[in-house]
Amino acid sequence: MSEVFQKRVAREQRQAFRRAWFINFLLLYYFCFALSYLVFHFLALEDGITAHSKLLGLYLLLCIVVGYLWSRSPASAGRWMVERTNPVLKGLQKQPSLQKWLRSASGIFSLLLLILTLCLGWILTEMDMRALFSVQGLGGARRIFTSLIKPELGILEMVLEAMVVTIFIALMATILAIPIAFVASFFMARNLMKFSRSALFIYNSLRFIANFTRSVEPLIWAIIFSVWVGIGPFAGMLALMLHSFAALTKLYSEQIENIDRGPLEAIEATGANRIQVVWYAVVPQIILPYLSFTIYRWDINIRMATIIGLVGGGGIGTLLMQYQGLARWHEVGTIIIVIAIVVWIMDYLSARIREAIY
Amino acid sequence: MTPLLEVRSLNKIYDNGVHAIKNISISVNKGEFLGIIGLSGSGKSTLLRCINRLVEPTSGEVLLDQINLTQLPFKEMRQKRRQIGMIFQHFNLIRRKSVLTNVLTGSLGSTSTLRSVCALFEDEARERALEKLQAVGLVDKAQTRADELSGGQQQRVAIARALMQDPELLLADEPVASLDPATSHSVMDYLKKANQEYGKTIVCNLHFLSIVRQYATRVIALKAGEIVYTGAATEIDAAWFKRIYGEDAKEVEIR
Ligand SMILES: Nc1ncnc2c1ncn2[C@@H]1O[C@H](COP(=O)(O)OP(=O)(O)OP(=O)(O)O)[C@@H](O)[C@H]1O
Ligand SMILES: [Mg+2]
Repeated sequence: MSEVFQKRVAREQRQAFRRAWFINFLLLYYFCFALSYLVFHFLALEDGITAHSKLLGLYLLLCIVVGYLWSRSPASAGRWMVERTNPVLKGLQKQPSLQKWLRSASGIFSLLLLILTLCLGWILTEMDMRALFSVQGLGGARRIFTSLIKPELGILEMVLEAMVVTIFIALMATILAIPIAFVASFFMARNLMKFSRSALFIYNSLRFIANFTRSVEPLIWAIIFSVWVGIGPFAGMLALMLHSFAALTKLYSEQIENIDRGPLEAIEATGANRIQVVWYAVVPQIILPYLSFTIYRWDINIRMATIIGLVGGGGIGTLLMQYQGLARWHEVGTIIIVIAIVVWIMDYLSARIREAIY
Repeated sequence: MTPLLEVRSLNKIYDNGVHAIKNISISVNKGEFLGIIGLSGSGKSTLLRCINRLVEPTSGEVLLDQINLTQLPFKEMRQKRRQIGMIFQHFNLIRRKSVLTNVLTGSLGSTSTLRSVCALFEDEARERALEKLQAVGLVDKAQTRADELSGGQQQRVAIARALMQDPELLLADEPVASLDPATSHSVMDYLKKANQEYGKTIVCNLHFLSIVRQYATRVIALKAGEIVYTGAATEIDAAWFKRIYGEDAKEVEIR
């Protein structure tokens, strides 16, 4: 090994050790938390969380020390995880066979962790087999299912009207989001924006806004907008539009980042300006994928538009919520059937259109 | 006579620390057909791209008609790029657009942004584009999509696109490296035509010495970013060949 490479390896190893220590610490800490929660829960001495917070200091100390000692072993969970993702260390590592690894401490530890997690999950989600199979519960289930399969067709006209509103909510949201997303995507493509510092700043800010917008569910946007502009289709449309905008810019700009650079350079070399370069070298390469993404988005928006109605976004979702609140299960049945048919048709159409494009 | 293009102690060090061209100075007279040869990685493309600043040189000067390009602000550089056509190994056409549109992109530098976005090229530009297509023998294909043409035809469209700029200088980066021998010669013949009939000065990266000997009026050889040979193409003999390409290399004929 050359000296330079040895230094590199040593640096990577030091860094890997610190990371492994941190991961081991987190895993151990989670282990302690889960174990003490379960123990106190079953002994019914004290609430799990309170008991745990009393022992917090002890746990932290224990986990840091044990985590440190443990990360010296190459078989520890942390080391294993870190070395797997490090190109240099992974290359140098002798791959332990799966059985060996399972027998090692980290294998047993992982298994314990999995079991603990399942137990904890059982308690926290209040799983209760008696509720699922009680006589009373089964009776309720039978009542609702029999009503659902005997839909009340008297309200069909009203349901269809609401469905049309929902379809248009999705349509407007998609159509209005397209031009904004289209323009924004060019500013969010790294390969077009790395020419200067201020351009990169715009790139990063737009990315942040879009990522934030996207990470908030449209359901929550619908709640926000229904307070802002009042309950109804407009609120639902705004919520969907915002989310579509964020989702589309991400897909669009990734597409731009994957284009062939050749034509870009060729057009640049002719002395064309930035807008001309984008228009002639970038746009022709992205237009078909854009179309495909957009149709896919419209497909998603139809589904989301029904859900958004549940929290006051108007259309068929709102109608569904009203009848469900009145426990009128025959009417609810009608609505569900209409939704299912429409979603199925849209699904089919959008798949066919996207097939035709490619 | 003052040279059309002068490169003075040009250096390029890439961000990853590779010193791709080292202190290169060349001067090219009007009407010359300069061939650049050298092994893969010797810096041929880098040198060419530094001339029209597709790659920003680290230091040194590039003078076109006595004007230093390396110091120009970007807007003026764009103006200058109109005088420098470029041809690439992989043609770099816009695949989904017609051949005519591809040739018309050569005139983007002199078309306003609004007009070009609406694809409203001047009638005069359309006429000229067809004329250039005529010159490379592809006027019948004007309305065909670029990706429906063969490699050789695509490269001829690229030549027409470069001619459309009416440049003084043509840079060609291995224009025939992805073509078969027969097609290579036909494409090189069109470059020669541009050189002799239209009087374009040409700087061309090439792989095969036989092609260099046949077309270039002068040749420089690069090795690891430095010039190791300058002179007439016909004078590169076996000894020089070994110096440029290394001891083990054997010359391949391509006819
Ligand atoms: N964008 C880049 N970033 C970093 N290094 C680069 C870049 N482009 C080229 N290089 C390096 O610069 C050196 C010269 O590359 P260049 O492409 O100019 O060679 P070339 O003579 O054109 O080779 P070829 O015949 O393979 O095209 C090479 O070592 C290459 O790895
Ligand atoms: Mg090259």
